Amino acid sequence: MANRNQIPTSNSALIAMIADEDTVVGFLLAGVGNVDLRRKTNYLIVDSKTTVKQVEDAFKEFTTREDIAVILISQYVANMIRFLVDSYSKPVPAILEIPSKDHPYDPAHDSILSRVKYLFSAESVASGRR
Amino acid sequence: MEVADHKAPTLENGQLADENADVLQFMDSMDAYFTLLHSLSSTLRQGWLELASARHSMGAYRVNTVLLDHTSHSAATTLLVTQDEGKVDSVEPRFTLCKWGSSSNEKFLGEKQSSQDQLHPQLRHRGSTQLSEEKTSSENKASCEIDDQVQKGRSKSLSVFGTLVSPKLRSAQLSFETALETLVEMANARSEMLYAFDKVDKKLGDGKE
Repeated sequence: MANRNQIPTSNSALIAMIADEDTVVGFLLAGVGNVDLRRKTNYLIVDSKTTVKQVEDAFKEFTTREDIAVILISQYVANMIRFLVDSYSKPVPAILEIPSKDHPYDPAHDSILSRVKYLFSAESVASGRR
Repeated sequence: MEVADHKAPTLENGQLADENADVLQFMDSMDAYFTLLHSLSSTLRQGWLELASARHSMGAYRVNTVLLDHTSHSAATTLLVTQDEGKVDSVEPRFTLCKWGSSSNEKFLGEKQSSQDQLHPQLRHRGSTQLSEEKTSSENKASCEIDDQVQKGRSKSLSVFGTLVSPKLRSAQLSFETALETLVEMANARSEMLYAFDKVDKKLGDGKE
C-alpha cells in the first residue's frame, strides 16, 4: 500500500485571516498578527474597496505558504471566491469559514458541509441500502 | 453446513457494526462542529460589541487599522500542528493553540518538574512534606512566570492602540482569545469529520461496486 502524504508538522504555525476590519483587529489583539521581513502579513482586511482578485490572490498565497496552518475567512468573503474555496481539499492549512458582523453564518454555503451533505440525500441513503 | 451458515451472518454483523461505528463517528464530529460554530458566533458577537464600545469611548481614530504595527514582528499566538498518531493510515492533523507562547511554557514547566524529580528521587523517603512544599513553590513560581509573560504579551498587543486603553478593549481582547480557542477546537473537529466522512464515503463506494 502506498503511503499517503504526511502532514507538514510545525510548532509555531500561523493563523491567517481574510475578513472584515473588526474581525481582523479583534484577532490581532489576541496576538495572531505576523509581519515578515518582506512586510508580508498573515491577514487581509476586506472592505468595500477590496476586489475579488485581491481576495483570490490572498487566498492562493495563504494556502501555499508553509508557515500557515489555519485560514479564517469570513463566509461572505468566501462566497466571493466560492469556486476556489470549494476546490481546495488539503488538510493543512485548514480553511474555517466564520460569520461576520453584518453577515450571519449560513451552513448551506459552508464548503466542508457542502462536501458531506450528499451523504444525507435520499439517493445516497437508498443506494447504501441496496 | 450449519457452521458455515453461522459464520456468514457473523461476518455481515461485524461489517455492519463497523459501518455503524463510522457513521456514528461522522455524526458525532459533525454535531461537535455545529456546537462549536454556535459558540463561536456568540463569542464573536460579544467581541464585536466590546470593540464597538471601545471605539465609542476611545474614538474611532484610536481604534483603527491605520495604527496596526507594519514593522517586522512574529505572532505571539501560534499553533502547534502534529499528526494524529492514533490513526495509522491517516492524514488527520491535530492543532494545539499556543496563546502568548503559553503552551510552550507549560511544556517547559512539565519538563522542569520531571527533571527535578529525577535529581531528587531518594529524598522521597524522608522529608516528603518538605519536598512537596518545595515542589509546590517551584510550580507556583513557574506558573507566575508564565502568567507574567501572558500579561506582557497582552499589554504589548494593546499598546498599539495607545498607552491608556478602554477596559472594553481589554474585554474584546479576551473575547477574541476565547474565540481563537473555539476555532482551534473547530479545526480539530473539522479534521475528524473529514476523516470519518472519507471512511463512510469509501465504504459506500465499495458497497455500490
